[in-house]
Amino acid sequence: MFNQGGLSLEQAPPISVVLRFFITGGIFGVILSLFMLFNIDNSLIIVHLLGLGVMASFMLGAMFQMLPVIAGVVIKTPTKKALVVHILLSLGILLQISAFSTSSNPYLYLSSSIILGGGLLYASILMFKRLIEIKDHSSSSKGMLFAISSFIITIILGVVMLLTIGGYLDMPYLLLKLRDIHYSFAIFGWVTLLIIAISFQVIEMFFVTPKYPTIMTKYLILSLFSLLVIKSILIFSSIDTILIDITLSSLLIIYAGVTLHRLYRRRRPTADGSVWFWRFGMILLIISLSTFFIDNLRDITYISFIGFALSIIFAMVYKIVPFLVWFHLSNQGYMEAPMMHDIIHPKRVKIHFFIHLTLFIILIINSFLNFTTLNIVSNIFLTISFSWILYHIVIATRKYYYIQRSFTPIKW
Amino acid sequence: MIITNYMRSEHRACDELFADAEKSVIDGDFTKAEEQFLKFSNETLRHFKKEEDELFVVFESITGNSEGPTRVMRFEHEQVRGVIGKMAEAIESRDKDAYLSLAESMMILLQQHNMKEEQMLYAMCDRVIPQDKKEETLKNMDKIEL
Ligand SMILES: [Fe+2]
Ligand SMILES: [Fe+2]
Repeated sequence: MFNQGGLSLEQAPPISVVLRFFITGGIFGVILSLFMLFNIDNSLIIVHLLGLGVMASFMLGAMFQMLPVIAGVVIKTPTKKALVVHILLSLGILLQISAFSTSSNPYLYLSSSIILGGGLLYASILMFKRLIEIKDHSSSSKGMLFAISSFIITIILGVVMLLTIGGYLDMPYLLLKLRDIHYSFAIFGWVTLLIIAISFQVIEMFFVTPKYPTIMTKYLILSLFSLLVIKSILIFSSIDTILIDITLSSLLIIYAGVTLHRLYRRRRPTADGSVWFWRFGMILLIISLSTFFIDNLRDITYISFIGFALSIIFAMVYKIVPFLVWFHLSNQGYMEAPMMHDIIHPKRVKIHFFIHLTLFIILIINSFLNFTTLNIVSNIFLTISFSWILYHIVIATRKYYYIQRSFTPIKW
Repeated sequence: MIITNYMRSEHRACDELFADAEKSVIDGDFTKAEEQFLKFSNETLRHFKKEEDELFVVFESITGNSEGPTRVMRFEHEQVRGVIGKMAEAIESRDKDAYLSLAESMMILLQQHNMKEEQMLYAMCDRVIPQDKKEETLKNMDKIEL
């Protein structure tokens, strides 16, 4: 009877499980911004450094942490599993980047498809299996299930494409279609569905807001996932997907509007960085989807979508990291456990928000102007942004281990 | 779902009391904050007592398991009680920054706890406790005072 709940005192994974992914996400962010700064203009590399190196790292770390809480799912021996995923993911991304930059070496494509694909499939199937066992699904746990399913589809298509480009599979005529489906599931499935699933819990409970409309928590994620499936079939049959795209975008714009309204009516007074990140993220989501159908504004669509995803990721990381450091240390009985604000001060988060805000305003403006100087300025801001969050995660990690080394816990 | 609904609305009511106290602290009105925080802590502790003395007991007797989820929940109540004490100290010494910092930890701790209850424990209660027993438990919980 209890296997679905499986509540145990050890259910919060050790802090290293989460921090290793967050630090990696930050490092890949800095690498990405250096690539941009030095004008390495290979969009495949940029997209995958961002999507896998940064976003997937942060999101997998957050999933390891949140699955037990939001979905009541326990991953056994999380330390070992996280280590395996972490190594395969980091190594796989490096191999993939090398494959994309040399573009002629088939072994790089083969090895990256095995290592990267293997690592990601291992993690996602692990989570999928636990999520599908749940008896009492909440809108959030169900949403996570669809997000993970989208991730699995994305990964499989990615592996197929790597093998095709490497010459191991012979279906180059399918490549463009596979690519479109791959990106659709990555962007609207994995990233967006996961954020929606998390928001259904987090917004209402942490900011003390009115509930999301039931029709939305019940049907939004299911509808979006179904639309993605239909869209893939249409892409495969070379039928225009415009109607699906319009429906998809309208649903997401409504969702973003409702979320902004919840935040506006929140009962908790704190207007800290994380509230601002959530709000700005939702505004960017609206911008991204309302420019989706205007060909000249394609750049804005992409830029603001990236800004949306990063905003929510930053909002989460700045809450999770100080909380975990405080929580684990106090649980272990360290009287000296620093308080959350002493681990990462809210002012630091606010400063990051302004860096982030400036960056995306410059990026959007410059998508019209195309000034070289502005381009350099935005790349500098991008570097500062990722360095900022990396620095604060590392400092928090060091504080954690410093307390563990320097003091004796009280047993209770 | 009568257990889940009853308990969830108590969680939300406590959240609102919590938010009110936090607002007063931000405004610097510690006298008001003290009053509101007392309300929050009383309601929260009463809710915990309802769980520990009634709901969990019924759950444990029906499932024959007192080492499972209820033990974790009792443990987490202790954690929350600890932070409530520290927040009371912060209010008493008019330490705004300490209060807001603790408030952040408290909110995450409490919401994680509430999520687990609402999604797992209460759902299980609603599934395993017979209807008449559920109604009786709700009545008994209503009577509980601090
Ligand atoms: Fe409880
Ligand atoms: Fe409760």
